[in-house]
Amino acid sequence: MSAARVYVRAAGAVTPAGTGVAALRRAAADPGWHPALGLPRPDAEPLPVAVCREFTTKDIVPPLLARRLDRPSRLLAVAAREALRAAGEPLPWAPERVGVTAGTWNSGTSALVEVLRAVFLTSPDEAPPAQFPSTVANAPASQLGILDKLGGPNITFAEKQVGGLRAIVEAARLLLARRADAVVACGVDEGDWLNAEGYARLRALAAPGRAGMVLGEGAGVLVLAGDPGPAPIAAVAGWGSASAPAPPHRYPADAAALAAACVQALARAGITASEVDLVVSAANGIPALAALELAAMDAVFAGHRPAALGVAERLGEGAAGGALRAVVAAMTVAGAVLPVWGCPAHLAAAGYPALLGPARVALVAGQAGGGSAVALVLTAV
Amino acid sequence: MSEVWITGIGLVTALGPDRETTWRRLVAGESGIGTVTLFDTAGFRTSIAAEVDAAGLALPVLDRTVLGHASRASRFALAAAAEAVADAGLASGRLDPHPWALVLGGGTAGLFEAEAFVARRLRGGARVRGLGELVDVPQDAPSDRLGLAFGLTGPRITVTTACSSSTIAVGLAAEMIRGGEATVALAGGADALCRLTYAGFNSLHAVDAEPAKPYDRRRHGLSLGEGAAVLVVEDAGHARGRGARPYARVLGYGATNDAFHMTQPEPSGAAWERTLRAALADAGVGADTVDYVNGHGTATEQNDPAECAAYGRVFAGRLADVPVSSVKGALGHCLCAAGGIEAAITALAIARATLPPTVGFAAADPACPVDPVAGTGRRGSVDVAVSASFAFGGNSAALVLGGAA
Repeated sequence: MSAARVYVRAAGAVTPAGTGVAALRRAAADPGWHPALGLPRPDAEPLPVAVCREFTTKDIVPPLLARRLDRPSRLLAVAAREALRAAGEPLPWAPERVGVTAGTWNSGTSALVEVLRAVFLTSPDEAPPAQFPSTVANAPASQLGILDKLGGPNITFAEKQVGGLRAIVEAARLLLARRADAVVACGVDEGDWLNAEGYARLRALAAPGRAGMVLGEGAGVLVLAGDPGPAPIAAVAGWGSASAPAPPHRYPADAAALAAACVQALARAGITASEVDLVVSAANGIPALAALELAAMDAVFAGHRPAALGVAERLGEGAAGGALRAVVAAMTVAGAVLPVWGCPAHLAAAGYPALLGPARVALVAGQAGGGSAVALVLTAV
Repeated sequence: MSEVWITGIGLVTALGPDRETTWRRLVAGESGIGTVTLFDTAGFRTSIAAEVDAAGLALPVLDRTVLGHASRASRFALAAAAEAVADAGLASGRLDPHPWALVLGGGTAGLFEAEAFVARRLRGGARVRGLGELVDVPQDAPSDRLGLAFGLTGPRITVTTACSSSTIAVGLAAEMIRGGEATVALAGGADALCRLTYAGFNSLHAVDAEPAKPYDRRRHGLSLGEGAAVLVVEDAGHARGRGARPYARVLGYGATNDAFHMTQPEPSGAAWERTLRAALADAGVGADTVDYVNGHGTATEQNDPAECAAYGRVFAGRLADVPVSSVKGALGHCLCAAGGIEAAITALAIARATLPPTVGFAAADPACPVDPVAGTGRRGSVDVAVSASFAFGGNSAALVLGGAA
């Protein structure tokens, strides 16, 4: 199987714009749409997190089951069920040959706080046993496996901002190695005050008078499969990953890793830089990342100027945000939406235009704090 | 497809801060499980764990950028990686023309340190001070520290599937070598004890007040542990070209999900049988070729019988002839580092023709009809071995390692 024969067969999403890909598509077509911000936390003002205020599992996950799931597991279950239903009912693959790859930045943190609250404020013996299994980051992917009896490889990746993109890359790897016939590749994050407060203390979050991240909550899902399968939305034509030395809480000093990941992805896809129509930008409001992205894009594209689209400042930054950027890219190359969220300022200033018409080749790349970079090329089919 | 060798091993465990100390004491049948000193265990069902003596770590000389606010888990990973790289005879990732890949299993990372902040924050509100304790909280922080310490520029992946994390990490690294994506990878995992996991397993009634007794009818649960393993996983042609010798070959790996329950294993062993068979198929070897299994062997009521049932399904009439030992009675359950540590021990078993014992085992259980290598290490040639890990959420994985051809 060649790399070009891994296809996006279906998609699902839970975002601050609402539940479902249709809600995301409507928001992407609305230049005035912005998410509701504000994550409550104890004893202090809310933090800038794009939360899924209207999220519900109603009619998608039975109430008794939903009650047993932590919030990230519920977010993923709803997005994944949308994608799996779109792939076909019954599924066109044997469930034991369907894998799950998930990227997450903070799944498990809320449950962790509840266990530690009992340990520190009540008694170690009062730690709630029902919460403990939800403290592991692989809980959402595992709960999805249990819920839909998916018996293929079930692997969760922690790579901060690029976890969702990593999950898609590793899904493709599982398919090429024939370890699964289809993979639910996803990113999921919850709105969680402890994680957000940590980044606020690092002064990395947006604040009045200060540029910074808006963290996100939600889940983005792509069902990937080779042939045979339902009609594809897009092809996962190529991917790459590289890294650069940096402390866990800092971006690297130069754009070498991000550029290398993009170059690898294009080479694997057999696509030249000049054939790329759309860059789904990694920009998240942090000036250091904008500078890295601009340097990487200039290194990759030289004089070519594909359209660029800002997403993270609408849907929020995170592993889910990375997967959702891929969902937006897949829908765009499929012609299902023409996103109008505009080109980020740092790229616009360098001559990258906003997306004004159809795109057939999209580059989605990300750079995580600590140095890991991942890139994907999605193409129309 | 490239052949994949393990050319370097670094270990940090409760039995010792390095590979040789760990191996020598393990084979002698010693246990690293003792009284916890890291935090107060009053109110828990047990007061023991396999704790690493961090003062004994041989950390490479690193500047403050690498070590600033580095957690115990990161320090374990750094020490294990430095030992592995030196053992493999590789000076530094910077000197190799091909970027090294890094694939680690990530668990609690800097949570032990962050718990102090969480305690203050929960008691004192948002005005309490704290930042440095949070730097290593992301589960990939130890990976970032290794990237920084060794100047790594290749793919960097952190797998977090609970107790099978670093088993999958080693398998994934081998797959990247096989596919030509890298010629050298550092693979393994690191995890550190913390109050969260101690309280959590306590709340599940999964811990034994006494040191764990895997496969033993007197078993009452696991003993938690901590540590790190880093293996240098290398393209055989690359290794041969520089005169390196392998501990073992990575023949293949398998991973599946039992889709059964977040904390309970599927009791018939059928789900884990799929994992073992997937690994053997990937390795291209039959179950009849397996000489040794380094088992998961947590010593919980549920795990050990389900695991042995899976071995019974795979090995059938040969079950009694395939030694199955668990290191968790000696090293504790090191969670996300466990699979990497066990892969390292399995490679050493192959290279040294010595089967590590199941420390703590004394009384056979009809529900666990395996030869657990009781007492001390046993001499025995191993051509093909399996290292198996089963995790929360049903995420199981197995590696198949082979002797040097």
